[in-house]
Amino acid sequence: MFGWLKNYSLPSALKANGVLGMNARNYKIIAPQNDRRLYPLVDDKVKTKVLAGKAGINTPRLIGVIEYQHQVKDFPDVIKNAPQFVIKPAHGSGGKGVLVVNRWEEDRFFTASGKVLSFREVFGHISNTLSGLFSLGGQYDVALIEETVNFSDLFKNFSYQGVPDVRIIVYKGYPAMAMMRLATAESGGRANLHQGAVGVGLDIRSGKTLRAVMHNRPVSVHPDTGADLSKLVVPFWREHLLIGAKAYEMTGLGYLGADIVLDRDRGPMMLELNARPGLAIQIANGSGLATVVKKIEKTYPVGLTPEERVGYILNAVS
Amino acid sequence: MIKKLFTVRKVLTLLLLLSAAFAGYGAYYKITYWGFDFRPNRTAKVWNIDARVSFVPTGEPVKVSLAVPSAKRNFRILNEDVRAQGYEVRRDVRNGRIEFTSGPQEKEQNIYYRLTVYDNEEKRGKLTDEKIPPLEKPVYDERQKQTAEEILAEAENFEGIWPQKIIGIFNKEPLSPAVNAFLPVKVNQKQRAEKMIELLALKSIPARLVHGVRLEEGKQAAEADLMLEAYDGRKWRLFDINTGKPGLPENFIIFQRGSASLLDVAGGRESKVRFSALRSVVSSFKLAGHRAQAEGYRRVFDYSIYGLPLLEQNALKWLTVFPLGILIVVLMRNVVGIKTMGTFTPMLIAMSLVKTGFWAGLAGFSVIIAVGLLLRALLSHLNLLLVPRISSVVIFVILIIQILTVAGYRTGWEFASSAVFFPIIITAWIIERASITWEEDGASNALSEIFYSMVTAAVTYLVISSEYIRHITFAFNEINLVILFAVMLLGTYTGYRLTELKRFSSLAKGR
Repeated sequence: MFGWLKNYSLPSALKANGVLGMNARNYKIIAPQNDRRLYPLVDDKVKTKVLAGKAGINTPRLIGVIEYQHQVKDFPDVIKNAPQFVIKPAHGSGGKGVLVVNRWEEDRFFTASGKVLSFREVFGHISNTLSGLFSLGGQYDVALIEETVNFSDLFKNFSYQGVPDVRIIVYKGYPAMAMMRLATAESGGRANLHQGAVGVGLDIRSGKTLRAVMHNRPVSVHPDTGADLSKLVVPFWREHLLIGAKAYEMTGLGYLGADIVLDRDRGPMMLELNARPGLAIQIANGSGLATVVKKIEKTYPVGLTPEERVGYILNAVS
Repeated sequence: MIKKLFTVRKVLTLLLLLSAAFAGYGAYYKITYWGFDFRPNRTAKVWNIDARVSFVPTGEPVKVSLAVPSAKRNFRILNEDVRAQGYEVRRDVRNGRIEFTSGPQEKEQNIYYRLTVYDNEEKRGKLTDEKIPPLEKPVYDERQKQTAEEILAEAENFEGIWPQKIIGIFNKEPLSPAVNAFLPVKVNQKQRAEKMIELLALKSIPARLVHGVRLEEGKQAAEADLMLEAYDGRKWRLFDINTGKPGLPENFIIFQRGSASLLDVAGGRESKVRFSALRSVVSSFKLAGHRAQAEGYRRVFDYSIYGLPLLEQNALKWLTVFPLGILIVVLMRNVVGIKTMGTFTPMLIAMSLVKTGFWAGLAGFSVIIAVGLLLRALLSHLNLLLVPRISSVVIFVILIIQILTVAGYRTGWEFASSAVFFPIIITAWIIERASITWEEDGASNALSEIFYSMVTAAVTYLVISSEYIRHITFAFNEINLVILFAVMLLGTYTGYRLTELKRFSSLAKGR
């Protein structure tokens, strides 16, 4: 009768492992570390892109921005020279409203998810984006059109459709925890853990797999491709960490999540930043974030440059 | 150091305690001075007591002096009214009397004194103590003395303390020969009581009569009721003259006690005072204003929400229960960790459920949501812009509500008639959000969000549907302040949410 209780653990047992809860994250970390005035810098992808360019962080190249409904008809002009592109809401979250067009001809747009859309349908999508369908709180939005990332083939077997990306949690400029998110059939090609994507915890010093989870349960192979998840190693790890570290100076946010993808030609590229990154990363890593935050707070030096901080992390004795 | 002393949490805790103390005092004040009650629909008993003084004038100037209950004593007087034509009325507050004076009268006179009191049970029985009058031993002849001693000897066998023994023997059926011999042939209550006092005096126990009115429904023109008061060496104690039961009965109102008389009439003979009592029932709330006035706290009352017209009061009655609903939402989200659609949506649904009835409302709401989701699914094929789309959903909801209400009226299905009580815009947004979640995260996510919203609504409903709780949050609205600080304090809660204990259970130590 009380079998379901076994699924619950004692608060003390979680605390002993330094698990960070939602309330503690909001009250003890986000509230003091993230000045609310800085949120627009990361909530608006156009602003983020501009800032990233100044900070020397790689992002997908911007093709154009559509701000008003009357500009929607200019869309063909914008993409004239782009054989492939991505349409994104500037204030979107969790991959909502992202339309990836792999190739197009005349009135036919071939999306990454295998659909073929007409001009009218793409217009509708942009129009919806502008009216706030995908933005937080439904406020008016802006559609961002940028170059498609040429994903590195390295992760080809590790993801079902969709883009595998690396999420790095950065605390006070120090990369604290990292995971890779792999899309599955169940997650509909998207990299959101709550939708059924696989989360692979990565060793912050090496970019190698710690463990992998799906729906909060450990998995060893990708459910669709059968790839051995323990073999996963993220190349250019130092560069990944550097993007996260630089994002701190770039935004001023003491607690942030950086989403990074690996481009075949241009290396690691930052897709977006998040001022309230979720806590599922702890499950993927099998360890608590509070422990790391405490360690950074207590023992890590302050006043270092991003490069020095990454160096510190890579050389730290854990 | 100072920073440590004044952390947000400590300040809020302090404010919470202060507000709780304030609410406690507020409750005390309202109960004591306004007669509020923790129970809803409480009615207070209001008694109209008529004292009719009648006498035949002797032709000399008339002066009537009647002992009246004093306001500061055993119970609360709402109103006093005098009908005495041609008399000058004067109150003698110090001695608790009312005096009527006039020139010589001719016909038989009737003076009416009406008192409206409310049953203030909690204040009863607190009598002020006076000095003991010198004990007057009765003067008896030999035979009387013998009888008295016989009675006292017999009374020894009765239970209780001496006053009770005496009352006991005087009320024994049949009366013992000694008592029979001791009492006059035609004896009334008062004479009987006086005899008892004489006997107590023999035992050196000071005793006296207490005049008052025993409040009984529809009491008509009765003589003043009597009680016996005896001094037990430390204080005066009241005894029922028929049963010997000590203490002031709940329904007894004292007009006069001590050495003074109940009624003095100069310039008249055959004077008597007769009492009648009539009870009416008034709700405590209605009475509160009168009580406040009687207590001299009218101004505070006028500026409270209870001084408002009833219509406004009823509207506020809903408002004052809101904070409790909000507290539940906060608990559900930040302590339990349930995700709901829209922060206060569950609370608003719960409000509607109170009006519709739980199951009927739940069924009605489910039908609206289900039909709405169906229509919304058709709508999503049209790729409408956001505002026109949500507007269409709002109109869908309005149409569904119309159809359901008509259907409910024609068929008598309660769940259908309940439709009209649901907030239209909120319902439309639930449909819109659920539909988007459905498209993006799948049906199970959408349905679970709706389900958890309904669970939260149900919990909120359970709390606010209670007549008791609604009454308490309204009558003792200081609770709103307590809830405010409780909510603010919850804003500093950094512990795990209940759902996180499951979510992160794989990270627990020892697994």
